[in-house]
Amino acid sequence: MRKFFEWLDGNFGIKKPHRRFLYRSISEGVNYFFCLGGIAFTLFIMLFASGLMLAIYYVPSENEAFASILRINNEVRFGWFIRSFHKWSANLFIVAIILHTIRVFFYKAYRHPRELNWIAGSLILILAFISGFTGYLLPWDQKAYWATEVGTSMARTVPLLGPFLCDFLRGGEDITGATLVRFYAIHVLYIPLFMCLLLWAHFHLVKQQGVKGGL
Amino acid sequence: MSEITSKIDRRSFLQKICYLFSFFGLCIAAGVYLLFAFPSRIREKQDLYVYACDEAELPVQGVRQYHVDYPLGGKTVTKKFFIVKTGKKLLVFSSVCTHLGCLINWQRTENRFMCPCHGGQYDIQGNVVAGPPPAPLNRLPLKIERQKVYIGLRV
Repeated sequence: MRKFFEWLDGNFGIKKPHRRFLYRSISEGVNYFFCLGGIAFTLFIMLFASGLMLAIYYVPSENEAFASILRINNEVRFGWFIRSFHKWSANLFIVAIILHTIRVFFYKAYRHPRELNWIAGSLILILAFISGFTGYLLPWDQKAYWATEVGTSMARTVPLLGPFLCDFLRGGEDITGATLVRFYAIHVLYIPLFMCLLLWAHFHLVKQQGVKGGL
Repeated sequence: MSEITSKIDRRSFLQKICYLFSFFGLCIAAGVYLLFAFPSRIREKQDLYVYACDEAELPVQGVRQYHVDYPLGGKTVTKKFFIVKTGKKLLVFSSVCTHLGCLINWQRTENRFMCPCHGGQYDIQGNVVAGPPPAPLNRLPLKIERQKVYIGLRV
């Protein structure tokens, strides 16, 4: 096993550039609150994995969506578990990000030279919110429908562009199957893609700039 | 304490423990994934004709309730249904309410099929007359061979 990994790393050469990062001494004043970002990332991985699994059975269509949710919950082995896992991880993901944001704020870690990383982190938070909002429609039940009705109606209050924005989000005047497919595509394709890019940028900047310790 | 000489130091011991736990975690995750992804129903649904009763036992006029046992996924399942004779017509109704799947009963005094859950009512032809059901009762196919009555089920 060890030999295999050594051979792999011999070709990839991924260990060496990260050695300095992984074995660095951490700045003083670091405590367990600094784990919150890592917790959020762990939750993201959990969401990614359970989302990959749910995508096997979920059908993003007007007539089939709710039936496929019932099938996942009642017929698929561990389906109820994976769906709950995805849902709870999603909730905790938002909580962890917000707590992480608060930590960064109070430790003044958003200041120069880390301002770009603060921006990247904020974008990740916004993406997490969008992901939560689009994912909420996918069960295609009454709660999902009306929550989306309310949420997309808010876009209508934007000056000038409001009505266009609302139609754009809904893929039409009303919430229909078109909205469902739209939200599904955003939820499973667009957001994970941009999230991965942003997370890479976020971690790269941490690696570049180190962790700011102390109050 | 200094006499104790162990072959394994603290660091590599912890490392091994970590590997072990990660390995078990990965095994469990892989197992759950395979069980999840493997289809729980492999074959298509088929028509299965099960024996209900002899032709002589059919209702002359009105409604009669029957129970049949049939195998499903290695277990024996009992299904309740109704055979209705009105005039010359012979109909078989599933006892599952089309609203939310409760089992309906025949109320002779009311001349209705009544659902106990949300008050759905069907007439003797299986049409909805009251309550929330969105569709009439499901009709099942019926086959009579050599004076024996068989009911067709999708399993």
